[in-house]
Amino acid sequence: MPRALVIEDDEVTARDIVAELSAHGLTAEWVANGRDGLTRALADGYDIITLDRMLPGMDGIDIVSALRERRIDTPVLMISALSDVDERVRGLRAGGDDYLTKPFSPDELAARAEVLLRRRRPAANETRLRVADLELDLVRHNALRGGQPLTLLPTEFRLLEFLMRNAGQVVTRQMIFEHVWGFHFDPGTNVIDVHIGRLRRKIDGAGQAPLIRTVRGSGYLLAPAD
Amino acid sequence: MRPLTDAWRSATSRLILIYGALFAIWCVVLLGVVQWEASRYLSRVVDQMLVARIHYLEGTDARNLPDTVATASAVDVQGFMRVGLFDAHGRRVAGNIARVPDELSEDGTVTSVKAMLVDASRDTPMRARGITRELPDGRRLVVIKDSTTIDGLGAIIRRGLLWGLSLTLIPGVLGGVLIARGPARRIRAIQQAMEPIREGDLSVRLPVSRGGDEVDLLAATVNTTLGEIERLLGEVKGVSDNIAHDLRTPLTRMRTRLYRLQQQFAETPEGDQLEACVAEIDTVLGRFRALLRVSELEDRQRSACFEELDIGAVLRNVHDFYAPLAEDRGQAFEIRLDKLPPLRGDPQLMFEAFANLVGNAIKFTPDGGAVRLVATTDAAGDARIDIADTGPGIPEGEREAVFRRFYRGDETRTKPGCGLGLAIVSAIVRLHGYSLSVGGDEKGAVFSVTCPPVVSS
Repeated sequence: MPRALVIEDDEVTARDIVAELSAHGLTAEWVANGRDGLTRALADGYDIITLDRMLPGMDGIDIVSALRERRIDTPVLMISALSDVDERVRGLRAGGDDYLTKPFSPDELAARAEVLLRRRRPAANETRLRVADLELDLVRHNALRGGQPLTLLPTEFRLLEFLMRNAGQVVTRQMIFEHVWGFHFDPGTNVIDVHIGRLRRKIDGAGQAPLIRTVRGSGYLLAPAD
Repeated sequence: MRPLTDAWRSATSRLILIYGALFAIWCVVLLGVVQWEASRYLSRVVDQMLVARIHYLEGTDARNLPDTVATASAVDVQGFMRVGLFDAHGRRVAGNIARVPDELSEDGTVTSVKAMLVDASRDTPMRARGITRELPDGRRLVVIKDSTTIDGLGAIIRRGLLWGLSLTLIPGVLGGVLIARGPARRIRAIQQAMEPIREGDLSVRLPVSRGGDEVDLLAATVNTTLGEIERLLGEVKGVSDNIAHDLRTPLTRMRTRLYRLQQQFAETPEGDQLEACVAEIDTVLGRFRALLRVSELEDRQRSACFEELDIGAVLRNVHDFYAPLAEDRGQAFEIRLDKLPPLRGDPQLMFEAFANLVGNAIKFTPDGGAVRLVATTDAAGDARIDIADTGPGIPEGEREAVFRRFYRGDETRTKPGCGLGLAIVSAIVRLHGYSLSVGGDEKGAVFSVTCPPVVSS
């Protein structure tokens, strides 16, 4: 069972995070202090760390910098009330793998944590992605469904790659926007839905089991039909 | 604001000119009075001399009078006083006056005349004062004295006036212009300092010198006022930001609980109701996010991410992002990029700004309409990006208001949105020092962003 370290000084938020990660099959441990958090993160082999930006004892940026300096590459999901893009940039430059601003919905946190966990697995380096009968060749840049080639626009290809890399995992609209377009602000959800709709029409043809599912209130999930 | 470039427009220069004009008028009036009084005095003296001379000649023996007149004329080589004796028909008997001047008064008083002299070298009448007497035997005695002395005095006073005016007015005006340059320079400095304040940066203060004069007093008062306005605006902004900030946490928790309930009651009527509630909360949270975003941008602390900006790449990204939406609505979405000058900015923010503008254009354009994204270099060498649509357009009266927070025009009330998108665009554009305008007509709106290029140092 993957292990998560939650470094968060606010007890209510920490409890929410622990509950959500546990509900997604992770063993979550909570530390409320920055110094203790760094000690635990250095000592034990965690699979993922959620790290508050502002902590008593030691700042979140300093913790992640210290971890990276010691060549500990555990994925770090930074959480902060500071929403300014500069703050995101600072957090990511210091070594954070992803950034979530408070207040956040726990399912968004779980989705991001799972994406980070998945990125660690060797499959992330594959050049050929496969989900059910859907195949994506990242080198030759082509896509097949049931052996039939799909005609995808560059954006649709990147979108499908992101969904397939995180197959079986809910990804939010915000995550899609950040990873596929590379921008960090709220674009409104409507346009992402349109892009997903078009991709869905291309890969889920008539008579084929639908692979892209909408998860109400959260986002999308690409997974083999049950 | 009109720049204070013309030195003659400054208040000091105007005061100097008005003062100079009044001074000149006063000098002319003063010297005019002096001249008039002096002329009157001299005329009176001359008149008394003429009366005395004619009285003397009248008293001499009538038989010897021609000789007396001739002698008087002969000895008057300086032309001090001319004498003439004429017979009853006006013919000259003796003396050096050619004929009886017409202007002479018959009542024996002295008058101004124009007299012709016997001296042939003078063919023009001489300005003079003259007197006449008719003798008992019908002859006429005339005595005149030229007005050279009186006229000369007038000329001297006039020359004095001209010299006086030249020596006071010319250095006065030049000195005044030099003095006026100091205040004009300071006013220009204040004017330049006001530029960022006009664009919303209330942290700037006007320059105050050590002199402590009226301009400094005014600048200090404006600075105090600016400080107070900044404090009050900060308080108002702080209140709205705090409301948005503080309400987000309980709303997020409520959303989480409703979301979990909705997951439990999925595929039931209750689940649908709960999903609608979650969507409503998402809308509110989205508005708070946008509101805080505007505040964050208006704080103007975000120039750290400025870099060489490939605005063409940003616009192509925006086009790529929105093209499917336009296509779904049957709208023609055209992009045209000309060669653009080098710009500096934050690509993330510029994407956000143009995404808002294009998103709006698509939203308000009816199905089957057209949206155009055109980037060109204008006559001034600035990059100009136009986002034109075939929607209902924005009425003239609303074109300023649309950039205000939460403003929603009559045409837009029925569409989803919160009226913060253009406030975000406006804040981003101002942060970059670019300008934003809205035009078009009832056949569609045109939003234009003008971006001055990077000036190589």
